[in-house]
Formats: sequence, structure tokens, C-alpha cells
Amino acid sequence: MTVRQVLESARERWYVAVPLAVVTAGVLIPLAYLLVRALQAEPGQLVDLVVRWRNVRLLGNTVALTAGVLVGTTLVAFPLAWLTTRSNLQGRGLLTLLGVLPLAVPGYVMAYVLLATTGQYGTLAQTMGVVLPRISGYEGAFLALTLGTYPYLYLNLRTALLGLDPSLEESARALGYSRWETFRRVILPQLRPAFLSGGLLIGLHVLGDFGVVSLMRYETFSYALYLQYAASYDRVYAACLALMLLALTGAILLLEARLLKGLLYHRAGSGTTRRAAPWSLGAWKPAGYAFAGTVGFLSVGLPVLTVGYWMADTAATGLPWASLGRSLWASVSASAPAAVLAALLALPVAYVGVRFPSKGAKAVERIAYLGYATPPLAFALALIVFTLGALPFAYQTLALLVVAYALHFMAEAVGPIRSALYQAPPNLEEAARSLGRTPLQAFWGVTVPLLRRGLLVSVAFVFLSAMKELPLTFLLSPIGFQTLALDAWSYANEAMFGEAAPFALTIMAFSALFVGLLLARETERTEQPEAVAG
Amino acid sequence: MWNFGEDTMKGGLGRYQFWCGFFRLDPDNETLAAPPRFTRSDTAMNRPWSGFLTVLLAAVLAVTSIGCQQQTEQEELVIYSGRSKALVDSLVEMYRQRTERPVSVKYGTDSQLLAALKEEGDQSPADVFWANTTGALSNAIENDLLTTLPDSLMNRPARFAPASKQWVPVTTRFRVLAYNSSNVDSTDLPASVTGLPEIDELDGRIGWTPAYSSFQDFVTAVRTVEGEDAARQWLQGMQDLNPKSYTSNTPMIRALAAGEIDVALTNHYYVLRLKHGGAEGEYEEEEGEEEEAEEEEEAPRRGAPVNTYHFASGDVGNLALVTGAGVLQTSDQREAAQEFLQFLLSPDAQAFAASSVNEYPVVPDAGVQNYMLPVDDALALSPDFNYDQLQEIDATLALLRDEGLL
Repeated sequence: MTVRQVLESARERWYVAVPLAVVTAGVLIPLAYLLVRALQAEPGQLVDLVVRWRNVRLLGNTVALTAGVLVGTTLVAFPLAWLTTRSNLQGRGLLTLLGVLPLAVPGYVMAYVLLATTGQYGTLAQTMGVVLPRISGYEGAFLALTLGTYPYLYLNLRTALLGLDPSLEESARALGYSRWETFRRVILPQLRPAFLSGGLLIGLHVLGDFGVVSLMRYETFSYALYLQYAASYDRVYAACLALMLLALTGAILLLEARLLKGLLYHRAGSGTTRRAAPWSLGAWKPAGYAFAGTVGFLSVGLPVLTVGYWMADTAATGLPWASLGRSLWASVSASAPAAVLAALLALPVAYVGVRFPSKGAKAVERIAYLGYATPPLAFALALIVFTLGALPFAYQTLALLVVAYALHFMAEAVGPIRSALYQAPPNLEEAARSLGRTPLQAFWGVTVPLLRRGLLVSVAFVFLSAMKELPLTFLLSPIGFQTLALDAWSYANEAMFGEAAPFALTIMAFSALFVGLLLARETERTEQPEAVAG
Repeated sequence: MWNFGEDTMKGGLGRYQFWCGFFRLDPDNETLAAPPRFTRSDTAMNRPWSGFLTVLLAAVLAVTSIGCQQQTEQEELVIYSGRSKALVDSLVEMYRQRTERPVSVKYGTDSQLLAALKEEGDQSPADVFWANTTGALSNAIENDLLTTLPDSLMNRPARFAPASKQWVPVTTRFRVLAYNSSNVDSTDLPASVTGLPEIDELDGRIGWTPAYSSFQDFVTAVRTVEGEDAARQWLQGMQDLNPKSYTSNTPMIRALAAGEIDVALTNHYYVLRLKHGGAEGEYEEEEGEEEEAEEEEEAPRRGAPVNTYHFASGDVGNLALVTGAGVLQTSDQREAAQEFLQFLLSPDAQAFAASSVNEYPVVPDAGVQNYMLPVDDALALSPDFNYDQLQEIDATLALLRDEGLL
């Protein structure tokens, strides 16, 4: 395409072009900021900080932890996704909720909970007399991160499994493949986009995590960067180190792009996708329940029980209802709009990436992930500079915080929508165009409804992340704005777990409620198309 | 800080339009939210979904347009606080009630707030910077963020006032050695922190926080009191004992209580909070005298018995450290800001700090909790030290990096 054609189509499809421009600007501004700051460094000291053996060791630790968590989350998320979509287990709705809720547990809370559970004086020892060695280091970080991030993979896989066309499997079986062969050669390849986008999020999450690794005393790259930054009060070197982390992210993004090349998984035939008939687990049913139950207990039950146990002490003297209510409102008023905005921004990004897989489209998609991987602190500082320079009236307003959340977490919203898009046939939209619809009408009227499930998951992801977010909230929120996450962290940081507990529990409870409502809508809707199409 | 009265809604309109312009959405036109329908099945699938979306969109716009509104009619005192909510919230509330001046607080860590202040430059809305460490305040002075304070304010604290006169001390804390008294006999512990590396039995049982500012201040003190080489030797000797590094004191003190380590170099109040909670116990003046012998065990033992060990009087291991606050250059109401600092130094506020977070007052006429070592005794333990030397943090960071601790 020539430049003129690009401009032409951008004007025609402004509803795609405008969000893409916003996303690109939102990510490139922080990047430009980091470069400007990094260039202010004195080369000598920069070399001292960057070229060190310690950094190599940290890099090794980081890669080991990322790989471990990726394997761990796959082992948890895949069976769970299969059980809740394709088996005949009862209560699959509840199990699905259990698969999402760990996202409502802040990482540092999970780490504190695991630390408090194990050991000679842990809650396990006190309540049941079971003494497990106090967990920390690699195992601790691995466990906390696996339990906290597997939902990213779980939900992506679930969306993909629900969207699979059963007729492909049936044909494979009819043509003589065994169940195992069908699974390996027909189902697994179709799950690749979901694996990749879920795995990518988890990888980026682990790369950037500070809360868990610092509490578990496992030294990774981001941990070291944070310490340098906090110790020397220096934004110049912090910028250099943030760029190093981004380079690492870039490598992962290239790898993912390579693996994702040329995938197309929509149906080519006519008619509507049916739901696959559930597999009967037979004698394996109890094992299925045991697995789902254990995962749910460790990732959701344990944090809730432990935090409740902490709260028991303070609850006697009365809970701070007023400040709980105020903080809850603050959290929701920032997170809910951010979640919707992020999904709206992610929609065209994923759409262009899947339907018009040009180099430029891929670049935009990668850029969205770069925003996710930019250390939030650097992201926030860049937005401070930009807002005060360009839109001073927006500084320290809720609108700025909402936009910041949306731009930062948008990558979480891209994956589920992208997975759903791979399964939405483009010829439906083309048919709508030929029947006289404008591109926007065709897109909004035909494709978007098919993406409903992906969109809901996207909104849920971003909402849950925004509810827990700390650095962006610290720096960009309106003055005096106190979210639940800020309160919980503030008290926990001072070892006042009793005071922190009500805020942490409220985050979890409200997130559960919100996601529960979203998922309820989803199941409500999935029954309907069958009835209509049938 | 928000009110939802009529003028808020009027005032909010500007931002609302800004939003709409930003995303090219026309609030009065629902074409975006309500897609066209052209087949029966499409309609059935579509309508509830688009309704849901419309509601969500409307909620987004409503919430942000209300929330965007900042209250600007009244001059508000804005505090950037690196100190935690546990202390600041109640004190600010107390101040608000006394003066009826609107105050709002932005919380963060010292380094986050400093970075924000630097990036905000002269557009910063902040009036007061209230920091957790002298290091952060020194850095603020270096970057020309603080103003010089009048003598009426600087003469108020009994000790630790900086020569620069750009911030006032607010509370004091002391370095201590916390230990598990069932595994460690306090008579085996050295008289000086510099003797700690010689206790070989502590191999693998020591906890410390090389990345934490209080620890770094302590290393700076070792460097200036004992000399650069002695500091390096001490760090190397300690590392030979395979200490466990924690990012902050809270997880370290929990690890001590959980039996993961047996001694920990920390600040005095972490032990007190572990034993007495952060609770606002009623404060009694000069009563408990021999309360250090805290041997009585609380009925339900939730952790290992943790006690405080003080090194010999005058040892650098008992170093006193201060937190403080200053008025920012960007403040457009310096008098009010100074008045707030004056309030922080009032006996009531000082006593509250002692009771809520167990830190020591800096003014002569405020008492402490009965389970705390009396102020004068604690001060007598701390070495004679020129606190302006704590500004030399860069050499300490270089040393720690050299030794692979940062």
C-alpha cells in the first residue's frame, strides 16, 4: 500500500485508526521519555551499573523463574480449562469463577500468605500442628506467581476451547484418529494463539514482578532495578535500567510473533458453530474434582482464610467502614472505566492484527505489549511530564488515572479478543458489506457480537489488574485519592496486617462479585444463540 | 474531597467534553453503542449485549466526569507523604479539626515522591514533603526543592535539627539487634555491632536489609565513625556469615518471628509492633521503668520469642535516625505549610506518633509508651555523631554495590 492508500483507509476506518493512534502515542510517549532521561546519564557510571556480573546472574534467575512459572501455569491452567469446558463435571460455572479469582489476590498478599502459612510458627503449625518448611526463594516465588497468574492462561484457553468447532474433531475421529491423536493433532494446534497470548502475559508479568520476588528473597532483574532506583533516588539511571528490561521484553515479543505467524482458525463452512458434547469422565470424576478443588483452595481459599485470620484480631475493635467504603468507591471509579476503555482500545488493535496482518499492524500490536512491560513507575513519570507539558488541566485528575490504567493494561485485553477473532469468520463481515453495510456497521453488527466472550474476559482482566495496581495509582491519582490497594499495601508495609486485612478482603470480595456478574452474563448469552440458530 | 453538588456537575462538563473529544464519542448519538440489525438471529444476539455496553459506556462517562472534578475554590494544603497512612492519616485529621484548613495527602514511597516532585518541577501542587528518611530530604535539598525554615520552627526540636535549616526532624528511631531469645542467649551477643561478624555460630542465622534506607544510613555512620576500610571489612565479615537479605524490615521481622533467622539488624519499632501491635494503646507518662525485661510471654504464642538487644552505650549499632518534613519551593502557602510543621512538633502530635507507630518524639515534653525504653536512656545509648554526615549516601551506595549487596 502506498502512503496515500494508507491515509485513505485510515480516514475511512477512523474508528480503527483513532484508537490505534491513541495506543501508539500512549506507549511511545513513555518510551521517548525513558530515552531522553537515559541520555542524561554519565557514561562511566552507567557502564558500572549495567555491565556487572551480578546482572548476568540476575538475568539467569529471571529466565529460570519465567520458564518455571510458564510450565507451572500450563500444568494448572490447561487441565482446569479442559475440565470446565469439555468434561461433564458438575458446577463448572463455580469452577470457572475459581479459575479467575486468583487475579483478585494482589501478588504481595499471596506472598505474605504463603510465608505466614508455612514454617514452625506458621498458621498451619498453629491450627493443625503441621509443620512445613518455611517457603521462600525460588520455590516460594514460583508457587506464589504460578498461583497468582495461571488465570491469564486459563481464561485464554477456556475462550479458545469454547470456540472450537466440534465438527473438526468429529471428522478427525471419523477418519480414524484415536482420541489422543485427535487431541494432539487437531485440538492442540488450534489452541496455539491462546497459549501464546496467555503465556506472553504471564511471562511479562513475571519479568516485571517486584512484590512477590522481593518478599520471597529471590533476586531477579526487575528486583535489582527497583532497588537501584529506590536506593539512589535517581530517575536517570532508573531510566537506563528500565530500557534494559524493555529490551528483554522485546526479545520475548519477537519470539511470540514468530510462533504466531500465519494462524487462521475460523470456520470456513456455512452455519453456526455448535457446542461440543461434553466428555464423560466416568471413574475419573473424583480426580477431576480433587484437582479443581486443590487449585481453587490454594489460589483463592488459602489467601481468603489467612487474611480473615489476620482480621479476626482487629475485627473485635470494629472495622473502618467509612474508609472502606470511600476506598472501594475510589477503586471502582478508576478500575471500571479503565477496564471498558482498555477493551475498546484493544478491539481495533487485535482486529487489525488478525484481519490485516501487515507489518504495520503487527507493530501496533507489539507496541501494546511494550506498554505493558514498561515499568509502571517509569510509565507514570512519563505521563506526569507529558500531561503537565501538554494538558496541564488533566494533571492529577481521575481521567488521567483511567487513561493510564487503560494504556498500561491494554495488553491484557488484546489476547482474549485476538483469540476470539481468530475464530470469527471474516466472510460474515464481507457478506454484511455486500448487503450494503458500512465497514463500521458490518464490524460492529457482525463481528463484535462474535467477540462477546473475548471482550468480557478482557474487561475482567483489566478490571482485576487495575484494582490491585500500586505505582501508577501512587503517582497519578488525584490528591487525597485512596484506593483499596493503596490502603492494604500501606498497612501491610508497616507490618500492620490486622489493619491491612479488611482492605485486602474487600478487594477480593468486590473483584469476585464483578467478575461473577460478567461471567454470569456470558453463560446467559451462550445458551441463546443455539436456540436462535437451531 | 469531592462533592456532588450542582456546581460540581457544571464544572465537570469541561472535562466530560474533553473525554468525548478524546475518544470521538458523541454522547447524544447512540450509533456507536447500538449496532444496526439486519437479521432475526442477529437482533436476538445483539440487543442485550449492546444494552450492556451502553450502560457500561454511560457509567464510564458519568463516573469520570464526576470524578474528574477537583475542588479548587478553597486553598488546600497538599502534603506529599513518604510516611505511612497509619501515622499520617490520624495526625492530618487532628490538624484538620484544629485549624479547619482543608488538607489532602498524597502517599508514596520517598523515592517515588521525589521522582514525581522532580518531574513536576515548578508545576507541582505540593506544599509539604514529609519523608521517611534523612537521605530523601538531603536529596530534596540537593535538587533545590525545599525552602529555608524560620528559627521559630527550627528551635523547636530538642535535637537533630539539620544545619541546612531546610527541614525539621519529626520523629526518631533507633537501630537495634532483634533476636530470638529461645535460640540466642543475649550474653553471647557482642558489645559492638562491629563485633557481630566474629560470632561464627550465627552463620546463616542473620537477617539484614542492605537495600533499606535505615540500614544504609547506619553503614554511612560506620563509614564516617570507623573509617571506610573498617566499613568494608565489616560488610565482608558479615557476608562470610551468609546473612539473608530482605528488601524491608517487615518481612524480615516476620521471618525472625517464624524462626527462619535468629538475629536481625533492624529499627527498634519493628520489634515493638510485633509484640504490641500497631495499636493505639493509651499512653501513660513516665510509668513503666523496668519494662525492658519483657520476658512475660503472651498467652497464645504466635511466633518465636523476639526481643530487643542494645549494643554497649555509644556504639554505632545503636544509632538514632530521624524522619523529617520540609516546605517545598513550589508551595503557594508557605505560612500554612510551616504551621503544619509546627503542629507536627506539638506535644500531642509527638505523643501520638509514639503511641501509634512507637517512634520517639524530638521535642522535650512528649512522653512515650510504657513498654518503650525511655527517651533519655535510648538517646544515651546512641553514639555522638554529626548527623549532617548522613548526606554522604553516594559513597555508601558505591560501597554496597562494590560488595555486591546492591
